[in-house]
Amino acid sequence: MAGRPPSNLLRLVEPETGRLPPGSPLDAVGEHASKAFPGPLLARWLRQARMLERVGLAGGILVSYQRYSPTIAEALTPDVAFNFVETVKDVAFTAGRQAAIQLCAAGAFAANRLNDADAFSDWSRLITDTAEQAPESVQAILERMEMLLRRLDLPGFENWIATGIRVGGAEAERRLQFFTFADPLAERALLRETGDALFADRERRLRCFATALWGQETVVREHALQANGLSPRRASFDGNFVRVPPSYPGVRGGAAEALYRASLAHVAAHMRFGSGRFDPGTLKPMQIALVSLVEDARVEWLAMEILPGLKNLWQPYHLAQAGTGLTAELMLPRLARALMDPSFEDDDAWVAKGRALFFDRRADLNDPATSRRIGNLLGNDLGQMRVQFNSRTYVVEPAYRDDNLGLWAYESADEEARESLEEVVESLRLERSDTQSSKNQSQAPDESEAQPQKVNPETLPDEAGVPIARLPEWDYAASRLRPQFVTIWDWPHKPGAGDWVSLVLQRRRDLLGRIDALVRAAKVSRPLRLKRQREGDQLDLDACIEADISRRQGREPEQGLYTKTERRHRDLSVLLLLDSSQSTADRVQGSTLSVLQVEKEATALLAHAMDALGDPFALHSFSSNGREEVRYMRLKDFDQPYDEAAQAALAGLESGLSTRLGAAMRHAGGLLAQEDSHRRLLMLVTDGEPSDIDVTDSRYLIEDARKAVQALAMQGIDCFCVGLESGADSALARIFGRANSLTIDRLEHLPARLPHLYFRLTK
Amino acid sequence: MTLDDYRLPEEPYYRAIGDEVALFEAAWSERLPIMLKGPTGCGKTRFVEHMAWKLGQPLVTVSCHEDMTASDLVGRYLLDAEGTKWHDGPLTLAVRHGAICYLDEIVEARQDTTVVIHSLTDDRRILPLEKKNEIVRAHADFQLVISYNPGYQSVLKDLKESTKQRFAALDFGYPERDIECGIIAHEADISEGEAAQLVSIAERSRNLKGHGLSEGASTRMLIHAGQLLRRGVSLKAACNATIVLPLTDDPDLRDALSAAIASCLR
Repeated sequence: MAGRPPSNLLRLVEPETGRLPPGSPLDAVGEHASKAFPGPLLARWLRQARMLERVGLAGGILVSYQRYSPTIAEALTPDVAFNFVETVKDVAFTAGRQAAIQLCAAGAFAANRLNDADAFSDWSRLITDTAEQAPESVQAILERMEMLLRRLDLPGFENWIATGIRVGGAEAERRLQFFTFADPLAERALLRETGDALFADRERRLRCFATALWGQETVVREHALQANGLSPRRASFDGNFVRVPPSYPGVRGGAAEALYRASLAHVAAHMRFGSGRFDPGTLKPMQIALVSLVEDARVEWLAMEILPGLKNLWQPYHLAQAGTGLTAELMLPRLARALMDPSFEDDDAWVAKGRALFFDRRADLNDPATSRRIGNLLGNDLGQMRVQFNSRTYVVEPAYRDDNLGLWAYESADEEARESLEEVVESLRLERSDTQSSKNQSQAPDESEAQPQKVNPETLPDEAGVPIARLPEWDYAASRLRPQFVTIWDWPHKPGAGDWVSLVLQRRRDLLGRIDALVRAAKVSRPLRLKRQREGDQLDLDACIEADISRRQGREPEQGLYTKTERRHRDLSVLLLLDSSQSTADRVQGSTLSVLQVEKEATALLAHAMDALGDPFALHSFSSNGREEVRYMRLKDFDQPYDEAAQAALAGLESGLSTRLGAAMRHAGGLLAQEDSHRRLLMLVTDGEPSDIDVTDSRYLIEDARKAVQALAMQGIDCFCVGLESGADSALARIFGRANSLTIDRLEHLPARLPHLYFRLTK
Repeated sequence: MTLDDYRLPEEPYYRAIGDEVALFEAAWSERLPIMLKGPTGCGKTRFVEHMAWKLGQPLVTVSCHEDMTASDLVGRYLLDAEGTKWHDGPLTLAVRHGAICYLDEIVEARQDTTVVIHSLTDDRRILPLEKKNEIVRAHADFQLVISYNPGYQSVLKDLKESTKQRFAALDFGYPERDIECGIIAHEADISEGEAAQLVSIAERSRNLKGHGLSEGASTRMLIHAGQLLRRGVSLKAACNATIVLPLTDDPDLRDALSAAIASCLR
């Protein structure tokens, strides 16, 4: 396109009048333009084109504009086509010439597709904005405009772009990966915007449904994308996993859920009633397809004998009609329907034969060999009828049935299955031990051979976390929860000095005495004697005497005559979450200690109190390095004693990286929710507002954390935040609410205040 | 005083699953304390009632709760016009006059409460009433039965080892398919076919135990569903009301359960 010269219109038109002399030999582009811009409009169009030249955008951009703007004018109005020049200009300057060239073609498509001037102007603005925010990616987006607009409406397209920019953050490389679909998240986000029901949103309920049917543990995963960038269209299973398409294109809402259910119920029937795999041997593709089809019908019949309602789930998808042509694509679904639905009328001899073979000996249905026998016979018949079968284009029908690869003992399938299992279950662990052993070997090969099993935890490389969870994040700008957006890593912590905590306690003897007094006062399993109760275990002697006196005096006695003892139950779990981001390495004013050291001292005192009270508590800490790496360090867990190891872990805590608060709180809340206590308290100690390297909008993480706190409150988990001198109180108050956050202006007070605060909160 | 009010007027329906009736009778002859284990609604209480009727003994039932104190079992002084008066608690009543005392869901009671049964459950067979300064020797017909649902309570609520080891235990589960059908058909007065559908539904929910549900549908739940069915409620609505909604508040699980139930219906 760039090699093509500009249309000869520019040369032919009279510069002064802008008129085209009659009989001028126009080229194709000129012809198109003079039709799209009749009369005086043509002169205006030419002025726009010259304007492009004037600002130095001649060449390919001009050619492209001339070629595509008439299409825009025809689809919408000439004015729209004129205004489009501005968009072209902006994009050319922000994102480069190639992007601008691409823009003209994309604009022509968008004009036709959107077919509305306002929508088109929104689209243009969106492209201009995107060019500013992600100049490197605009070309990639424009190249895919046809596919994008075919699958998404304009708001969906806008959301998808916003997701991409959010995902990539400040990294051009990551944005480009997203918009070129190298990042699998892009397809997932796109599917979400199409409105097709996603498996991921329904995974849990569908998995529960599959388990409920036969009580088999079912591991369901989404299909990975194939080389062509699309997902397989049918479910699939092997010995270990069931895989389903991430969505069924065009199927939405309840219909999608029903289809997923039908599909999982079908696979579950295979797993329940199938036995082993068939040996493909010398079978032809058509026979394989037919044996699979009969086997499908067989396991469904067996399942329906026990659960008759499954028929309602499956039958609606059998839509094949009798009397179609004699191709395999049409005949196989007819047979499938005939085997499912006894009331289906099909007088084709072949279908009737299949039916007879299948239903005449019901008892045989328990034997998988039946499928093979019937499938072979029917396959031979089709072969003799010279019905063609193309195994490449063949897709199993109806849509709920699986691809049947799991039925056959193909060697490669076995291999793949085993690999993928290992990949999922073992990869992380293998990776870890690999790096460890290779490191050891390179350092001291002899030693590692001598003691191959022993790995000293202190020599573990720093980067040895294990990803344990993918959590959502709230995007306030889009008002939506981005699912599986943040990765939590269980990060190993380095032990410090084991006696550090006892040194701190010794140094803070003054506080310790007061804390111990508070502990004694708060020990709640102490029995409490309640007097003058209406009901109780024993008579209250004083009350009885008074009552008797009252009675003899002729007055009405008091009602409360009993005493009872009550034990106040202290039923409380606390998770103390420490922010250990880089900013906590700062020195405290007028002190030699860093913020983190003060945090640690305060924690040591508080942990001492909690341990003495017997409240189950956990000490965790977090820092983050972008959304893909939120490091979560469990210094002490609920079920772990507060012993020297836990104390050493606390002593060894170091500052580093950023504060992705919401993610850490969601994860901590999840752990706390598993505790069986009546009251669950998440206490956060932080030195400032949340921040992370891949987030530029300071409000984003605040709103996310706020959402996280709200979600935890819904689960009955109380959150409380202690902020350290930082001027971030307004952010913390926004996140936690004013009543649930406390800013300590003088940091050296923290060790004294924290335990007090704890007692107040847990009263 | 005879405990006639505590006698069962007619035979409570009970269908034996195994040899539990014979075991109970043997234990009764030796007056061994018995512990019944099993999930809720599987027929523990009904079994005790049936055995009390069969053995011709009165049955004193106490449902334990977490605020229950030892006095609630043993008795206490109350005040009346003449002064203080001792009232026997249900346990003392059974010990004094001879009855089967059934402590339902014993783990719900606090551990310091449950130790009062210790002296009754070894060869001493006495109940000391500290406040009254009396030692009650157990009547020859006294027998203690407790029920206990392991796994359902939290770890905190477990019986003390010293309490557990005093009992002979019978383990209850949901009955086998055919037996459960018979029980439901009898109790809810519905046809065997309808009962079989209910059992099939229950199996689906029991498959989800440990996958989000802490317990599947109990036989009692199925009987309730059957009773609604007999009153003309549709099977789907009856199952929703008596099984899905009571079992879980989790919308995903409700959905999965409803779908699984639908697969059992014709």
